[in-house]
Amino acid sequence: MAQVETFYYDNAIVRKFAYATMLWAVVGMLVGLIAAFQLIWPELNLGIPYTTFGRIRPLHTNAAIFAFVGNGIYMGVYYSLQRLLKTRMFSNVLSNIHFWGWQSIIVMAAVTLPLGITSAKEYAELEWPIDIAIALVWVVFGINMFGTILKRRENHMYVAIWFYIATWITITVLHICNNIEIPVSATKSYNIFAGVQDALVQWWYAHNAVAFFLTTPYLGLMYYFLPKAANRPIYSYKLSIIHFWALIFIYIWAGPHHLLYTSLPDWAQSLGTVFSVMLIAPSWGGMLNGLLTLRGAWDRVRQDPVLKFMVVAITAYGMATFEGPMLSIKSVNAISHYTDWTIGHVHIGTLGWNGFLTFGILYWLIPRMFNTKLYSLKLANVHFWIGTLGIAFYAIPLYFAGWVQSLMWKEFTPDGFLKYGNFLETVTQIMPMYYIRALGGTIYFIGTLVMIYNLIKTIRQGEFIGDEAAEAPARLATDNVHKGEHWHRWIERRPIQMLIASAILILIGGLVEITPMVMIESNVPKIASVKPYTPLELHGRDLYIREGCLGCHSQMIRPFRSETERYGEYSKSGEFIYDRPFLWGSKRTGPDLHREGGKYPDSWHYNHMVDPQSMSPGSIMPPYPWMLRDEMNLSTLPRKIKVLTMLGTPYPQGYEDQAVADLKKQAAEIAGRLRIDGVKDSKLEKREIVALIAYLQRLGTDIKPKPATN
Amino acid sequence: MKKNKLIKQLILTTLVMFSSSMVFAQAANTSPTGATQASNSFYNVLLSNGLLFFAGLTMLGAVLALFHLLNMMIKVQQLKIYQEQGIEAYVEKVKATPSSFWMRQYKAWTNVVPVEKEDTVMMDHNYDGIKELDNSLPPWWVAMFVITFALGVVYLGYYHVLGGPSQADEYAAEMKVAEAAKATFAANQVNKIDEDNLEASTDPKDLAIGKTIFSTNCVACHLSKGEGSVGPNLTDEFWIHGGGIKNIFKTVKNGVPEKGMIAWSAQLKPADIYKVSSYILTLQGTNPPNAKAPQGVKYIPEEAKTE
Repeated sequence: MAQVETFYYDNAIVRKFAYATMLWAVVGMLVGLIAAFQLIWPELNLGIPYTTFGRIRPLHTNAAIFAFVGNGIYMGVYYSLQRLLKTRMFSNVLSNIHFWGWQSIIVMAAVTLPLGITSAKEYAELEWPIDIAIALVWVVFGINMFGTILKRRENHMYVAIWFYIATWITITVLHICNNIEIPVSATKSYNIFAGVQDALVQWWYAHNAVAFFLTTPYLGLMYYFLPKAANRPIYSYKLSIIHFWALIFIYIWAGPHHLLYTSLPDWAQSLGTVFSVMLIAPSWGGMLNGLLTLRGAWDRVRQDPVLKFMVVAITAYGMATFEGPMLSIKSVNAISHYTDWTIGHVHIGTLGWNGFLTFGILYWLIPRMFNTKLYSLKLANVHFWIGTLGIAFYAIPLYFAGWVQSLMWKEFTPDGFLKYGNFLETVTQIMPMYYIRALGGTIYFIGTLVMIYNLIKTIRQGEFIGDEAAEAPARLATDNVHKGEHWHRWIERRPIQMLIASAILILIGGLVEITPMVMIESNVPKIASVKPYTPLELHGRDLYIREGCLGCHSQMIRPFRSETERYGEYSKSGEFIYDRPFLWGSKRTGPDLHREGGKYPDSWHYNHMVDPQSMSPGSIMPPYPWMLRDEMNLSTLPRKIKVLTMLGTPYPQGYEDQAVADLKKQAAEIAGRLRIDGVKDSKLEKREIVALIAYLQRLGTDIKPKPATN
Repeated sequence: MKKNKLIKQLILTTLVMFSSSMVFAQAANTSPTGATQASNSFYNVLLSNGLLFFAGLTMLGAVLALFHLLNMMIKVQQLKIYQEQGIEAYVEKVKATPSSFWMRQYKAWTNVVPVEKEDTVMMDHNYDGIKELDNSLPPWWVAMFVITFALGVVYLGYYHVLGGPSQADEYAAEMKVAEAAKATFAANQVNKIDEDNLEASTDPKDLAIGKTIFSTNCVACHLSKGEGSVGPNLTDEFWIHGGGIKNIFKTVKNGVPEKGMIAWSAQLKPADIYKVSSYILTLQGTNPPNAKAPQGVKYIPEEAKTE
C-alpha cells in the first residue's frame, strides 16, 4: 500500500468561474430578452446601430453559449477533475491565465459584436484576432487539464473525464477548421471556403459546437454532480462506455441536417439525416444513465431542489435529443426549417439542459465551498418552479408560431395562388406568440435573479475554503490490473490513448463529408453566368454582414412550389461560389432575399431602409437611418480585392487599383436613379445605402429565370 | 373459471371487431377528401393522417380501458369464488400464477437488477465516492439503436443505391401535380378573365374590393391617392405602358420587372387584378396634391383613334 499523501484542492479557481457563470448568465439572458422584445417593438434599439437586432442576436447567442455555459463548464470541470483524480490542478498560473483569458475574450466579443465586427458564421462570429485568442486560451485549458490528469493519484479515469477529453479535442479541431480565414484588416477577414463548402464546414462546426460545448462537457458534469448530489451509484458502467463512444462518433456526422433541402448535394444531406436519427440512442444513453441513477432516491427528488433541477435538466436533454433527430427528417425539416420551431427547440436545450443543470450544480457547489447550508431552500424551490414555467412559456408559443407560420407559407388556394402571398401576413399572425415568448423569457430571467440573490446570501453567511485538504495514496507505479477486468479499463488508465482514440473517431465523420465537398468539383456544378461581385456590391455585402441581416433573412430558396412561387427559382449551389462567407441564414423572420435583385426599384429599397413600415405596413424590421447618413469607408477595398483574388475569385489582374474607381462609377449610376425618384441628398453616391442597394439588386440575378408567362 | 375466460375472450373479440370496423368507416370517410387534397398539398394529407392516427390512438386507449375494466370485474368474480372455496385455494392459485404478459415484457425489455439487490452488481469502482453498477444495457435501448441503424441503411440504400428520387425530382413532381390541379380548376371556371375580353368594371362592389387591394399592395410605391413616388403617377392621362383597362391589367399581371413593378399574377387572382385595375382607372383626373410629374405618353383609347 502506497503512502497516504495530503494535498489541497484549489477551490479559489472554481469560485472565480462560478461567479463568472452567474454574471454572464444575467448578461446573456438580459441581451436575449432585449432581442425578444425588439421582435415586438423594433424601436427598442433606440435608433442606434449598436443595439439593433441583427447585432444583438449574435451577442446573445455568444454570451449564452461561450460566456454563461462556457464558464459553467470550467467551474464544473475544475471542481470535479481535481476530486475525481485526487489531485490539485496542474498549475495555479495556468488556471488563472485560463480564467482571465476567457473573460477578456468575452469582453472583446461584447465590444466587437455590437460594433458590427463579425465573420457572420453562426456561433463563430468573432473575428480572427479573437479566434486566435480563443485558440490560445483553449490550449492553456488543455495543458492544465492534461497536466492534472497526468499527475493523478487515481489509476483510472472516470466517465466524466472521458467526456472532458473528447470535448477538448473536438472543440480544438472544430474551432480551427471553421475559422481558417485570410485577414483583410484587424477587423475583417475572408474565409478560405466559399458558398456551399463554407456552409457545410460552418454547420459541421455549429452543430458540433452544440454537441461538444453544450452537450458532452455537460454530460461529464452530470456524471459527477448527479451521483454526488443523489448519493447513488451510476446505473450502468457498460451503458457509459457504449453511449460515450457512440455519441462522439455519430454526433460529428450530423451537421448537414442544418442544410436539408438547400443546395448542398443530396448525398451529404442524407448522411446528415441518417446519422441524426442514429443519434437518438447514444443521446438517450446519457439520459437513461442519469435518470436511472436516481433509482432509490426519487423520494429525495421531491425535497431537494438540487435534484429537482437536475431531473428537469436531464429530461429536457432527453426531449431535445429526441426532437433533434425528428427535425432532421427531411419532411419534418421542410416544415420546421427557417421557423421559430428551431428557436423553441434550441431553448429547450439551453434553458432546460444547460441552464437547469448549471443551476443545480451552483446550488450544490456554493454551500459546500463556503462550508455552510443554502440560505433558503424555499427560494430555490421558487426558482425551480418559475424557471420551469419560464421554459414552458418560452418554448410552447414558439412551437405554435413555427407550425402556424410554416403552414401559412405553404398554403395555396385552389386556383394555384399562395394564400398568403404577402410574407408580412404570416408575421402578423404570430405576433401574439412573440409576446408570450418574451413573457416566458422574463419569467425565466427573474428566476435566475432569485437564484443569484439566494447564492449571495449563502456566500455571505458562509466561510470560503480556498484550499480544501484531502488525502489519498500515491498512484502505484505499476498498472493496477485486475484479472478478468472489463476490457475498457485498459484505456481508462491511458489518457493519451484516450485522446488519440477520441480524435480519430471524431475526425472520421468530418473527413468523409467535407473532403469530397472540397475536392470533387462535380459536387458544386459550375454555372457560366455566375460572375464575381462588383466592388460596390462587395462593399454592400460586407455591410449586410455588419448589420447582421442574415439573422432574419435567409438567402436559400428551397425546391418547394411554395418557395419558388413566392421567391423565384430555387437556389443552385453554383450560384454561391464567390460567397465568402456564405449567407444562407437559418431563420426567416423576414422573407428570403436570394432573388431580391430586380424585384423592386432602387428607391423602394432606399425608402424601405428609411422606414420599413412605409413600404411594408406592419413590418417588424427596424429602420437603418445610419446607412443613409454614413459615408462608405473604402480604405480596405483594394486589400479586399487582393485577398479575394488570392482565394480564387477571378478578378482581372491588378483589379485592386481599378476597384475604387469602378465602385464610384456604379454608385453614381444608382444615385442617379434614386434622384429621379425624388431622393434628395447631394452626397448620395458616397452613402453606405448605395452599396447595400447595389448588393440587394444583384442578389440571385446571375441566373435569369424565365419571366412568368402566365 | 373456464366460463370466465370464455366471457373475457368473447367480449374482447367483439371489442376488437367493433373498433376495427370503426377504423374502416373512418378511412372510407376520409378517402374522398383525401383525394382532392392530395393535389393541394402533402401537408393536408399529413394532417388528415395525423388526425386518423390520433383517432386510432384514442380508440386503442378506450379499448385498453375497457379491457382493464373487464379484468377488474373478473377479479371481483374470482374473489367471490375464492371466498366460497377458502384461503388454501387462493394461496395455491397465487403460487401457480405466472406473472402477467406485460410484467414479463417489462422485465425482459428493461433487464434491470432491482435496487434491493444492487449489491450483486456493484463494481469496485470508487471515484470521489461515486460508485458504478454493472447493469446491462437496457434491451429496449439496444433495440432502438439497432432499429435506427437499420433505418439508416435502408434510407441510404433507397435514395443513393436504388435510385430513389432526388430533391430536384421531388420538386419536379410537385410542380407537375400543381400544374395539373391548376389546369383542372381553370377549366371548370365559367367566367374566364383575360386581357383580351375586358371592359372596365363600374360595379361599386368591384371598385370597393379594388380599392382595398390597392391600399394593401400598391400604395407603397404609388401612394394612397395614386399620386406616385417610387412608381409613376396613376392619376394623369400619361402612361408608360399604356392606359385603359387592357393595358393596366397586363401591366399589373405581368409586371415590368426591369423597372421594379412586380408581376402580381403570383399573388393576385385574375378577378382581383381586374378589380384593382378598374379601380385605378377611377383615379383618372383626380389631381391629388404633390403628384409626380407625368411620365410616358398621353394615352388615347383605341376607340378614339379609329374615330
